[in-house]
Amino acid sequence: MKQILLSFALFLNGSKRYRSIKDFIRDILTNPDNPHKKYIDITIIFLIITSVFILIYEVKNPVHEYFDLYDIYFVSFVFAIEYLLRLWVHNDLSGHIIQEYNDARYLQRDFSLWTPLKKGLAEKFQYMLTPAALIDILAILPAYRPLRILRIFVLFRVLKLLRYTKSIKQFMEVLSNKKFELLTLLFLLFFIVMVSGIAMYVLEERINPHIESLFDAIYWALVTISTVGYGDISPVTGEGRTISILIIISGIAMISFSTSVIVSAFSEKLSELKENRIIEQINKNKSFLLICGYGQMAKMFFRQNEIEMSNYIILDNNFEKVQLAIKDGYRAIHEDASRHDTLQKFNIEHAKITMLCLADNDVENIYIALNAKSISHKIKVIARASSSAMASKYEYAGVDHVLLPNVVANTMIHTAITQPTMHKAIHAILTGKNIARIDELHVNTYPTLIGKNIEALNFKKSKLLFMGIEREGEFMFNPSLSTCIESHDILLVMGRQISLDYFKTLHEGNV
Amino acid sequence: MFSKKILLFGYGKHGKFIAKGLHEDGLSVKVIESSLDFYTAAKEDGFEDALHIDVTEDEELRALNPDKYEQIVCVMDDAHLNVFLTLSLRSLYTECYILALSDSIHTTKKLQMAGANKVIDLYEVSANKIHNILNRPVATKILEKFVTEKDGISFQEMLIPEDSFLIGRMTDEIDFSPFGVLLLGMIDKELGHAFIFITAGINHKIDTGDTIVCIGDKEKLKAFEKEIKKRRV
Repeated sequence: MKQILLSFALFLNGSKRYRSIKDFIRDILTNPDNPHKKYIDITIIFLIITSVFILIYEVKNPVHEYFDLYDIYFVSFVFAIEYLLRLWVHNDLSGHIIQEYNDARYLQRDFSLWTPLKKGLAEKFQYMLTPAALIDILAILPAYRPLRILRIFVLFRVLKLLRYTKSIKQFMEVLSNKKFELLTLLFLLFFIVMVSGIAMYVLEERINPHIESLFDAIYWALVTISTVGYGDISPVTGEGRTISILIIISGIAMISFSTSVIVSAFSEKLSELKENRIIEQINKNKSFLLICGYGQMAKMFFRQNEIEMSNYIILDNNFEKVQLAIKDGYRAIHEDASRHDTLQKFNIEHAKITMLCLADNDVENIYIALNAKSISHKIKVIARASSSAMASKYEYAGVDHVLLPNVVANTMIHTAITQPTMHKAIHAILTGKNIARIDELHVNTYPTLIGKNIEALNFKKSKLLFMGIEREGEFMFNPSLSTCIESHDILLVMGRQISLDYFKTLHEGNV
Repeated sequence: MFSKKILLFGYGKHGKFIAKGLHEDGLSVKVIESSLDFYTAAKEDGFEDALHIDVTEDEELRALNPDKYEQIVCVMDDAHLNVFLTLSLRSLYTECYILALSDSIHTTKKLQMAGANKVIDLYEVSANKIHNILNRPVATKILEKFVTEKDGISFQEMLIPEDSFLIGRMTDEIDFSPFGVLLLGMIDKELGHAFIFITAGINHKIDTGDTIVCIGDKEKLKAFEKEIKKRRV
């Protein structure tokens, strides 16, 4: 038995396929940034809503057998599978066994299967006791029909929605920050209700026909203190009314107090909640820009955008600058990009992120760039450096593009002086003016170009100037007309925007 | 190339590099500084005729005879001083060509109002570059090589001499490929000084005095420049 389990664990642990499947399921179930997760979520939400609808409809109307079957078997079956999968991916049982086996071999002691199994199962059990897991299992229960009362457990399916609604989660988080205040209030409430309830019971139990037990008196006290005041039980003696006055006054105080606690909790967290919302939204994009530092450079960058950009976010650790950016109408949050957890919030796994380090300070920029690169090499970093002496440091930090504003400006001035006519031309090309844009065509996105030679493409007819091909990092300037285009080439052409667009549409389809 | 005389105000973080670059290209540069530190730096770097003057004084500016220079470049580190200098120069000499560098959005406008013929905005060009890197990474890299590298592929402007074999021919019909260069555009003398890109789609007749701009290998460009001087056969 032990041997079989051990070899099974070894097999699972060694299987790459098993691991990748498990990782995939874990990611799709628990990682909110997974692009496919939304399909799972929508399915589950659909199941929940339909099954609750059937429950409500069933109260007054007979339902078709199919609906009942759907509700009992299908929905519960899906939920059961979801539950088991979540339980499965929660921890790594086979890993524990292997670990214990290796430890035992190393220490030359007897290998006992029980220890890792106990540890692994305890972890699973702990997961089962978390509120989310409890709700999940209760949501499966309505499948058991003989007990009619279990039908009400369908409502637990509604609670399952909590997993998919971020706002309630955030609400609970906000309240948990004020745990102390709220608990104090609750205790005070409990105290007043008990004391006045008991007093009422002692004073009026014999006189008041509505108060028959201590429960009635406490019920009355709670109804009164909450300012609900049904009026089904009311004091009849002078003493009872005195107690009422006291409860009503303390009730008003308590309600206003609790309201203010909750409101202040929210106002404290409001900016954070808003920022989280912004981050969530940006994370839905397939690719986006992280702009660190809102200074002159960032402002100019935005000002030059002809097209409205939607997939960007500005990070700045200076609150005033963030306020300024928001005032200018940009999406900015007050976060320190040099911190590990800040960048961790973004969808690094599934999105293509380009980071612009535009702070005025080299130390800051390098730190931010290194921080980004340490999290993932997938993040493309473009950083601004103050001088060419700094550029090598940036390159060492792994920055993809180093921008030297001084050098760029100096070259511009230089060409403006030495080659005034051409300066205009170069400037127009570099700034991508409408009349002479240099654009690159990635051949792999235009498969119809592959295999054709340059003569056949007839750039001249399209009013484009063909400049060359970039092939495997090498640039071939003005290649001969018989050169054939290969699938990974990048073609460099110059022309007016409309000519470029037209050329692209011409070769887009399968001509 | 041709020996141009440049009057350069400012030898700070930008002036220093511009002066060096211009000097390497064989241009004669006269450096003017108002700060003593920068002035000594200029002297040390070999700009012997550098002058240390107070640029806010009109008399001292006049003494420089700015109208003798082909271009005046204002790249003082202090933006306020730069604007004031541009304004003073413009008020003294309405004809001269002033090129100024701005390092903020607000200064750019002020320099233009002060009368600079051309203002290069540090942030504008850099922000442009970011856009280029983001949208056209390969093209940007290659273009940069064109502009900055001394050898290899570059741009060159050529004046069409009298009775060149190109005269009277249309830009569309000329086949440049045997020369290994590409025609980027031209300045048609008949149409004023505007630079016309070949891709604008208008066919031009080449005449004497027109300037054509070509891209190509440095060697090929030189060869081509000789070629166009050949007589029409």
